Amino acid sequence: MAILLTRETKAIVQGITGRVGSIQTRWMVEYGTNIVAGVTPGRKGEVVYGVPVFDDVKETVELFGANASVIFAPPFAAKDAVFEAIDAGIKLVVVVPEHIPVADTMEMREMAKNRGAYMLGPTTPGVITPGVGKLGIMPGNMFKPGRIGVISRSGTLSYEVSGYLNEAGFGESTVVGIGADPVTGMDMSEILELFEKDEDTEAVVIVGEIGGTREEEASEFIRKMSKPVIAYIAGRLAPPGKRMGHAGAIIQGESGSFRSKIEKLEGAGVKIAFKLYEVPHILKKLL
Amino acid sequence: MKLLEYQGKEFLSSLGIIDVPKGMVVQSPEEAQNAVKEIGKKAVLKVQIPTGGRGKAGGIRLVSDPEEAKKVASELLGRDIRGFKVNRLLVEEALEIEREMYIGVTIDPQKGKRVFMFCDSGGMDIEEIVRLYPQKLLRIDKYPSEPFREYEVRSYLRERGFSGELLVKLSKLAYTMFEAFVKSDLLILEINPLCLLRDGRLVAADAKVEVDDNALFRQKRFLEFETSSFEDEMEREAKEVGVSYVGLDGDIGLISSGAGLGMCTVDLMADEGLRPANFLETGGGITAKLLRDSIRLLLKRGNIKAILINLYGGVNSLIEAANGIKEAKESFAKDIPIVVKAIGNQEKEAWEILRSAGVHLVYTFHTERLVDLLKEVLTKRGE
Repeated sequence: MAILLTRETKAIVQGITGRVGSIQTRWMVEYGTNIVAGVTPGRKGEVVYGVPVFDDVKETVELFGANASVIFAPPFAAKDAVFEAIDAGIKLVVVVPEHIPVADTMEMREMAKNRGAYMLGPTTPGVITPGVGKLGIMPGNMFKPGRIGVISRSGTLSYEVSGYLNEAGFGESTVVGIGADPVTGMDMSEILELFEKDEDTEAVVIVGEIGGTREEEASEFIRKMSKPVIAYIAGRLAPPGKRMGHAGAIIQGESGSFRSKIEKLEGAGVKIAFKLYEVPHILKKLL
Repeated sequence: MKLLEYQGKEFLSSLGIIDVPKGMVVQSPEEAQNAVKEIGKKAVLKVQIPTGGRGKAGGIRLVSDPEEAKKVASELLGRDIRGFKVNRLLVEEALEIEREMYIGVTIDPQKGKRVFMFCDSGGMDIEEIVRLYPQKLLRIDKYPSEPFREYEVRSYLRERGFSGELLVKLSKLAYTMFEAFVKSDLLILEINPLCLLRDGRLVAADAKVEVDDNALFRQKRFLEFETSSFEDEMEREAKEVGVSYVGLDGDIGLISSGAGLGMCTVDLMADEGLRPANFLETGGGITAKLLRDSIRLLLKRGNIKAILINLYGGVNSLIEAANGIKEAKESFAKDIPIVVKAIGNQEKEAWEILRSAGVHLVYTFHTERLVDLLKEVLTKRGE
């Protein structure tokens, strides 16, 4: 069954005729993803790697029953694209572009939540269900079908951890990039909830990093989970990145550090991998 | 983009709702002397650098006359404070403060909400005050679609004993700041301390304003500040190259195609006793030029023993990256060992190019093998 991207997914690509959109469409199609249509306003009638292009999302929902969208619009147009997709009834929106203003992201996030849609990103590699399809930019050859769910804040580390899982013979049920921006569409806990309910997922790996309080907040949901959770937090010895300054410090208090995340996660029963390559070793002991 | 204090104060003044101290920006001791003459009383000299903690670093000095201002200014100008070269001072009237408060707006990223904050104490220890007495902080969270209401602040202030003109001034200020925060795509808008003076004036004694860089395309009024907010020299050049750069104190140049991957690499390097000289992250959109310029930027720092490059090709073109590395290796980085991991779309073509460039290459995704190879290379060179 997997989560978010399943055999029932009928996906469209918004911004399909752009430089990145077109090449990534090709790779998604080659991977076997069910891409039913593309959207670029004004370009109806064109075809990109066998995918027909339309003027708006609504047409693709009416004609093909599209239910997911991956967005490659430029940053200034991304909010409009997300609103259009959700308004047309799309339930999974993957926002790949980086450099979207945070105010726009907050609006997208609020709308997705109000309308019961799932939104990944911005600045996400997307979501991949190995063997089924991928919505986004991850290199398909880094993933293999299996029963481990992966949630990552970092695109590149989601590739790397999957490499380790494959090498140890595990494979992944679904790999979800929530996005690297300060504000993202979905929280870790929402994705954990989907993995908890998913029959194809045996255990979940969280790839986090220092900064923000996402991992701390996710630990509240993990207490209630029946499936084992393993976490790796990048930045154990790295310099803390750009802090948000005074006002940020006031609302975040002492959260966000490596120590704070590890303490909260361990307190919720999560097994910690201090190095990424330890993840499969810990999994072997748990399963 | 973090505005300098005087730029932040210009922004606050433009809102027309709050006074800022009488003052001017100067760039020489003579100008500082004249400024104090004009102010006509005790004054404060404040270094203009885009970072906090200036007071503790000796960057804020009280002077009592123009002569002293000249002397202190010559001490401050040209100095390095917290990694930033001082080339501007803000000379301001010294305030006679009755009471210090805190007011600010920011974003709670986890909730996706804007947050208004007010505290009837303020000053340097605001974080500590809020930690010890969380009930002293008024916090109002708003989703983008929810309007900010002036009365919410007013009723809080009334319960706290505020009344009369100050009650109205503060709640109006709160409302105006929140509106400006939204309209101008800010990440932080903060006045700390917000001062009530003995003469009854309400004055912003400091101003912290951070604009969302990603929104500058529609916030053009801030562009004029960009060239004048003097960042660390390397960071400024990195911005021109199109990468993000954090300077560190080791001797291994590090380039990664993502922040998470970069941090993970730093962790593994540290375990082997290797220290990065920097944290240079390309993000998506690698081109040959970007990689070449990144390597050039790294080497500019000097004292670099080797360069470690950790890349994934998802949205990025590894072929572009490989060509950039090759160009650097063949033109200006001949003598410096470069150790590369490049995995993902079109990796085989990229490896071909990298091999011909004479860099050290790992052919797997394992970052720890990349670090091992680096160690090996350094040992062979007798480092």
